Amino acid sequence: MLSVRDVYKSYGDITALRGASLDVAAGSIVSLLGRNGAGKSTLLSIIAGLSKADSGSVTVDGVDVLANPRAATGLVGIAPQRTGIYPPLSVRENLEFFGELSGMKRTDRVARATAVAEQVGLGALLDRKAMKLSGGEARRLHTGCALMHRPKVLMLDEPTVGADVTTRVQLIDAVRRLAADGAAVVYTTHYLPEVEALDASIVIIDDGRVLTSGSRSELIDAHRVGGLELFTLTPLTAELTSAIGAVESTPLKYRVTAQTSLPEVVARLAAAGIGIESVQARKPDLESVFLAVTGSALVEESE
Amino acid sequence: MNALVAVVKQQLRIIRRDPWFLFIMFVMPLVVMPLFKRTMGLSLQASGYDSASGAEQVVPGQAVMFGFFVGGSAGFCLFREHGWQTWDRLRASSASSRALLIGFMIPWVVILTVFQAALLTVGGVALGLRLNGGSPLADLAVMFGYSCCVVSLIMLISSTLRTVNQVNAFQNVGAMAFAGLGGALVPLSQLPGWARAVGPFTPAYWAMQGHNNVFLEAGGLGDVARPVSVLLISAMVLMALATVRFRVDETKQFFA
Repeated sequence: MLSVRDVYKSYGDITALRGASLDVAAGSIVSLLGRNGAGKSTLLSIIAGLSKADSGSVTVDGVDVLANPRAATGLVGIAPQRTGIYPPLSVRENLEFFGELSGMKRTDRVARATAVAEQVGLGALLDRKAMKLSGGEARRLHTGCALMHRPKVLMLDEPTVGADVTTRVQLIDAVRRLAADGAAVVYTTHYLPEVEALDASIVIIDDGRVLTSGSRSELIDAHRVGGLELFTLTPLTAELTSAIGAVESTPLKYRVTAQTSLPEVVARLAAAGIGIESVQARKPDLESVFLAVTGSALVEESE
Repeated sequence: MNALVAVVKQQLRIIRRDPWFLFIMFVMPLVVMPLFKRTMGLSLQASGYDSASGAEQVVPGQAVMFGFFVGGSAGFCLFREHGWQTWDRLRASSASSRALLIGFMIPWVVILTVFQAALLTVGGVALGLRLNGGSPLADLAVMFGYSCCVVSLIMLISSTLRTVNQVNAFQNVGAMAFAGLGGALVPLSQLPGWARAVGPFTPAYWAMQGHNNVFLEAGGLGDVARPVSVLLISAMVLMALATVRFRVDETKQFFA
């Protein structure tokens, strides 16, 4: 359904994408994982026709997006990272507008707005003004607006940022149902549990390149790294961090993914006079895969 | 075409949600008009219109000046989409950049024309403005031409400027300066020579020429053909420039 091949994009001296490639089949969910500035949003912007690629190709359902972006607009739906809704208008009016914009007839868009509102858990709030919605409800409306025209490719750029647990669960459920209905979904997030909940294929992107991709189990098998989780009493120096192959996750918390054994880590820290509060072995998981592939932690961020 | 209609309807829907702006803009000139009626009457009489009451100048003059303030809101709406983060959603839709630009203009051309007509009607009744044989249809044509010209100018300015504060400054200064130089505040004959020379380069000048032809010269459609043509041709040129200058992917800053 969606095929991205060798896409390059630069903004002046900054290269945002360096030959990114991606395939998403109808009915499947692909989660793009990457740190801030990895190129995720740039890639989504190019697929949605909001930004032009310097080179490469993007096709949606056989339509060349780069050569004919207007033809692809009806096929693609995007909910950008920042919440974009009309505050003075009701939930229904917001939804119906995006339906009308894509050429839906009145009867169709009225019915569709009701269905989409139900889908994103806003069925009871159809007549409430968007400005009176909670942050999570506004976020769901934002996502719902992208669903109105039944896109074949749906792109959600960090849809759960700032959302509460209930909203996250509802959104993830909605996304799974969309995929089950045949949509190809591209989902970016920093929350790894969401990726697992979606049962999505994973594409890890860093510095504008796709580093690896596959299902969760494939990636864990391919990058069979567990490592250690280390809590220290004082910060490690950069040299020591590098010497034991560690990455600082949060202050005084380190992930060691290199093949440094526990006795060796303990010995080096003791020699450096660093106290250890606790240390534990970690089973291989997505976080350790990400760490192993990119060399850095996937830090959660807020909007 | 569907997208254009959708954008126009959406803009009207949003404007309807906040009628207070238009209400205040409507009341303000009605307060100002009586204050200057007598003075303007004396000015017109000094210019050879012996039976003029002053309403012939102050009513259309205030409509022209406040019309510029109202027309400036077309630019504000464009920037507001950036503030609401909905601009990218519009860009990602099937609406072309031209449909977006025109979709933001049409509601304000209609509103501005109705606004001036309502102001002339209410202000005219309150201050005793008489058509005296002038054609109301001709005056409506003047108001429509002025609306097209002002909204096109504002869209060109909004396409060029980067922040809503810059547009706001242009709107405020433009309304006062154009009204002054164009003979909307005081009759053109009362202005210094340099101002009379600059006046024809403002939309207010041509709007006032049209209004004067109707209210002071009992003119009909043929008598306002020249000012209306100038306003409409200017609108087309400004619109063409705005279309060339308009970049959908340009970042605009709403209020920080």
